[in-house]
Amino acid sequence: MDNVLEARDLAVGANIDGALLPALRDVSFRLAPGRILGVVGESGAGKSMIGRAIAHLLPPGFAITAGSLEFEGRDLTDMRVRDRRALLGRAIAFIPQGPLSALNPMATIGRQFNEHLARQHIRRRAGRRERALAMLAAAQLFNGSQVLELYPHQLSGGMCQRVLIAMAFASHPRLVVADEPTTALDVTIQMRIVELIAQMQRQHGTALIFITHDLRLAAHICDDIMVMYAGRAIEYGPARKVLSAPAHPYTRCLQLANPAVTAKGNALYLLPEQMPSLRELTRIPGCHFAPRCPVATRRCRLGEPPNIMTGARHWAACIRSEVAAKIEAPLELPVATAGAVPSAPLLEVQNLQKRYVTLRPMLGSATEITAVSNATFGIEPAELVGLVGESGSGKSTLARLLLGLEQPSAGRILLHGKDLTECSARSRRLRVANIQMVFQDPQSALNPRRRIAGIVTQAMEAGSLRAPWEERLERARVLLADMGLAADFATRYPAHLSGGQRQRVNIARALCKLPKILVADEIVSGLDVSVQAQLLYLLLRLRDEFHFAMLFISHDLAVVRHLCSRVLVMYRGEIVEQGPTESVFAQPQHPHTRALLGAVATDGSNINRNSGKR
Amino acid sequence: MTASPRALRSGRVLAGLALVLFVGICAILAPLIAPHDPAEQNLLAILLPPAWALDGSPVFPLGTDSLGRCVLSRLIYGARTAMSVAIVASVGAMLLGSILAHVCGYFGGALDWVVGRAVDVWMSFPPVILSLILMVGLGTGLDKMILAIILVDWTRFCRVLRSEVLVVTQRDYVTAARLLGFTHWQTITREILPATLPLLITLLSLEMGIAVVVEAILSFVGMGVKPEQAAWGQMIADARQYVYQSPWNLLLPMLAIILAVSGFNLLGDGLRRVLDVRLAELGR
Repeated sequence: MDNVLEARDLAVGANIDGALLPALRDVSFRLAPGRILGVVGESGAGKSMIGRAIAHLLPPGFAITAGSLEFEGRDLTDMRVRDRRALLGRAIAFIPQGPLSALNPMATIGRQFNEHLARQHIRRRAGRRERALAMLAAAQLFNGSQVLELYPHQLSGGMCQRVLIAMAFASHPRLVVADEPTTALDVTIQMRIVELIAQMQRQHGTALIFITHDLRLAAHICDDIMVMYAGRAIEYGPARKVLSAPAHPYTRCLQLANPAVTAKGNALYLLPEQMPSLRELTRIPGCHFAPRCPVATRRCRLGEPPNIMTGARHWAACIRSEVAAKIEAPLELPVATAGAVPSAPLLEVQNLQKRYVTLRPMLGSATEITAVSNATFGIEPAELVGLVGESGSGKSTLARLLLGLEQPSAGRILLHGKDLTECSARSRRLRVANIQMVFQDPQSALNPRRRIAGIVTQAMEAGSLRAPWEERLERARVLLADMGLAADFATRYPAHLSGGQRQRVNIARALCKLPKILVADEIVSGLDVSVQAQLLYLLLRLRDEFHFAMLFISHDLAVVRHLCSRVLVMYRGEIVEQGPTESVFAQPQHPHTRALLGAVATDGSNINRNSGKR
Repeated sequence: MTASPRALRSGRVLAGLALVLFVGICAILAPLIAPHDPAEQNLLAILLPPAWALDGSPVFPLGTDSLGRCVLSRLIYGARTAMSVAIVASVGAMLLGSILAHVCGYFGGALDWVVGRAVDVWMSFPPVILSLILMVGLGTGLDKMILAIILVDWTRFCRVLRSEVLVVTQRDYVTAARLLGFTHWQTITREILPATLPLLITLLSLEMGIAVVVEAILSFVGMGVKPEQAAWGQMIADARQYVYQSPWNLLLPMLAIILAVSGFNLLGDGLRRVLDVRLAELGR
């Protein structure tokens, strides 16, 4: 009994509209004490189902249909409720995705920690407090006694996650399940949180399941990696092997679709379309990845491939694993080029400033917050400019100022030399014609009650001139074709579209009247890697076709490096560094830029140097 | 969209709709289906029980009141009064309340503050007392009663819809519409109103039930319609004195009120369940 957790042919079925669809199939793995297993996959791959099956928290309609899940030799799937409750939260602990929503907003950290420890049978109150302080210190929250007095909303996301990590390890668990523990956090602290989890795991000798969509991040801390696709584990092996010699084409494609922050200009691999839904899965014969696979043969479509060993403890569900590692991204893809500098910049921003003043008449006081201070930069025609910085650095406020959604406190905005600073009717007309925005959240950015054709041609019904419907439908067809969407999307509603498709509609709407500048606020951040690669490619292609300039706001340095020729770095409302992407990334001048770059996981790094040996 | 067939599959909506339609058809066809003129008195046949009772007469299917007027005819004409108040007063309150709600929720600022405080003050009065005071000032009559109900109940629409408008205004697609050059008027009517419409319809339906009750109360205390017009509240008031001789006269108009109000409430509750996305998710 040397394994903490052993899954044997675990299967989860989903009961959707009367049909039983497989949400998870044939998942088998062994996890030894003190090891880290990374479960990697895009959304819908079924990776969270594993964590939920362990916690017995499957969503309504989902149930374990076959296989076993043994924790220290005891099957979790048919355990009595009392026994399971005795294990969960003690021997098995969880680190959730959203740290703020996982803590009770109505209770102090101290009270929640105390309740948690009371369940661990620590009798004395003073003993519980002592233990809480020790755990918080281990989680690098050194002013522990202060933290215990605070409510969750008084802590930052990163601090909340540290509290939850401290709580998870406080019970000396034998197994910890971390489901996307860093997705909701700022880039700059993601790495520190991941390293904290790994460090705690090593100190306590805990086995850890690390669920993530980020292959690179998983490779950074995990011993073993299991890649999921459409509910099935398709590759399993030591982290270094999976990354250096992927045995499944999907793993390789994921790797190639993810832009690198260190090296410049590798074209991204574009996986066509998207992961099939549970319902579509039943209609795909043979290997479920075959329709998107670059090396699929006729034999792949005949039957589902078995798990084939390709090395020591390394297998893949692919009959052509020998060619998987050889897949390369096609070279002829448009890559951002530094634009030649024309005489007149398109957009000029001079000493732009935005201060918020909160008046509190009762107290007779006023607090002043400077969201953007002294921003000066220009955007050339058809130039892609990246704007990076952590959350709260003023990126979005700057975008709102450019779009005229906020009035600047000082400074000037010039478009073609014409002053846009005042929010007058004239500057509004100029803005509507020239500057458009692509929104971050495609869910909220598309009116759910409009058809796609109506959304993408919305600009044509603005003002007093309403274009006839036939004309708009015609324009919608052209725009959808430009976005790589089928013409029959025109009559559908946003609810029928996937995230990536919605984001394309979002872009199409902004491009309807061919503006000169697009402001794109984190438009790929919520998307899966393969969809993100498709969108980045689309943006570059559209730029070449329509010659718009773009201010691309992102926290993802790798994406900015891939797309943009120039980059602005914002920190606490100030643009602290700007210049050509290459030189900023190669020789960052400002300490904050260096900190941002240092916080990103790079391809070859792994903090557990013992990986691979057993 | 898919809302209309889905609404018709809900039992509550169907039951509510059937009751409301029944009362509504009675109101519309009153001159055709009522056996007598509701004001016609027959002093030789006062306080007759319904036709199926021992002393009943087939001429007066539901009997007569203390002045020998046909109860069935008065009920049918009373439905006319109730339905016209329910529809006109609720639509009026809806228009006043929802226009203010959309303007305030969308623009915010000083106007929002002023209207918000006005609603606070308005709602701190007991609504029935407020409408009684208004009726004293305005005088009796159907149109005055409708005006009184509008002036009392617009606050319900204003308060509930305003918070919904606030939520919708935060959505990115509203900002997008502005960036694409939509005027404020276009943004409100084409982007925000379609999102608040389900709530508005639901509120309207519930308000109709409330209007029926208020109409009955005002007629009961004699502050409602003019005495020659038939109204359910008035019938209850008349029947009070003879409740021991002829309980039917009291029970029948009460039953009519219960039917109409529960019809509107069932319809409103059903529509709320069907149209509210959050509840629809839970029900699945």
